[in-house]
Amino acid sequence: MYDLIIVGGGPGGVAAGVYAARKKIKTALITDSFGGQSLVSNGIENWIGTKIISGFDLAKSLEEHLRAQAGIDIIDGDLVAAVAKRDDGTFLVTTKNGKSLETKYILLTSGSRRKRLGVPGEDQFDGKGVVFCTTCDAPLFGGKTVAVVGGGNSALEGVEDLLQYASKIYLIVRTEVLRGDPVTQEKVKSHPNVEILWNTVIEEIHGGGEPQFVNGIKYKNVKTGEEKELSLDGVFVEIGLTPNSDFVKDLVQLNEVGHVVVDHKTQQTSAAGIWAAGDVSDVLYDQNNISVGDAIKATLNIYDKIKKS
Amino acid sequence: MDKVTIYSTPTCVYCKMAKEFFTKNNVAYEEFNVASDLKAREDMVNKSHQLGVPVIDIGGKVVVGFDQKTLEGLLGMK
Repeated sequence: MYDLIIVGGGPGGVAAGVYAARKKIKTALITDSFGGQSLVSNGIENWIGTKIISGFDLAKSLEEHLRAQAGIDIIDGDLVAAVAKRDDGTFLVTTKNGKSLETKYILLTSGSRRKRLGVPGEDQFDGKGVVFCTTCDAPLFGGKTVAVVGGGNSALEGVEDLLQYASKIYLIVRTEVLRGDPVTQEKVKSHPNVEILWNTVIEEIHGGGEPQFVNGIKYKNVKTGEEKELSLDGVFVEIGLTPNSDFVKDLVQLNEVGHVVVDHKTQQTSAAGIWAAGDVSDVLYDQNNISVGDAIKATLNIYDKIKKS
Repeated sequence: MDKVTIYSTPTCVYCKMAKEFFTKNNVAYEEFNVASDLKAREDMVNKSHQLGVPVIDIGGKVVVGFDQKTLEGLLGMK
């Protein structure tokens, strides 16, 4: 029986792991990989104490820091599949690879994952022109016509990545405004190779050829209702994130978009024995530095609880 | 041991993770940068029927993405 199981290996999970180990809380941390969403970032310039670090290097330094702690069990390459509360108030945590672990307390630092469009063709052409990791696959679209979907920073940075390669980029924005950094907005708006389609949603992604690849989309102007077809070679989906809270949805209170609702003083959820921190929680700002602080807050609160019991 | 080939782009972090995994486990591999090597890109598409990186070929078995468990299985580790 563990005292604490930490779910996730992003900055929050690792911070909690380090603090838990130093408080000698009997802890296991379960994660598929380290670093969280920043892993794919080329350069993080706001990780405090470091002028610039790649997501890859940040992940490595987090993992090293965690592995340097004595007395914490690290289960990596795995994911939590289900959490069940037992009659005595403890929990049974099962993983995708079939491990079962018992624990008194749980800290959710499972972060979030990329949202999908949910339109026909998206799954069928995933990897065949539909791209979810722009930094990874942008170099494969040299001289091609592509669409980037989204209006926030990740979409704008996606366009920036693609400007080096693609010959024509349509930025598909559901509203009339861009939400990203003003500097990037200006660069994207003024670039001759970029055309912004405002008030627009993709309705369908088409493909053709052998093997089949994306060859076009059907899109709709949500204001006028007008539908049009566009020939292109790639669709880069950058429409934001959805929290990884599915496995506790029957145990804790979630808000309307799936974030775990917490008491922001202690990070406790609505369920006794479960805490949450970072992007999976209903924190106002999704930031690495904030996840770290909130996860530590949670761990100290859990430690107080253990001391009292 | 089966021949290991990885098709990658310089900006792909999952490619880096895969290469680091090979290095850590003393697995020799050949790498093709499909951002610039168009012939290799064509080979990659023919093998994997898709355009995402990394694509890893272990003795003719093709894996898309970095999935440590699958790689360990194909390499006969653990």
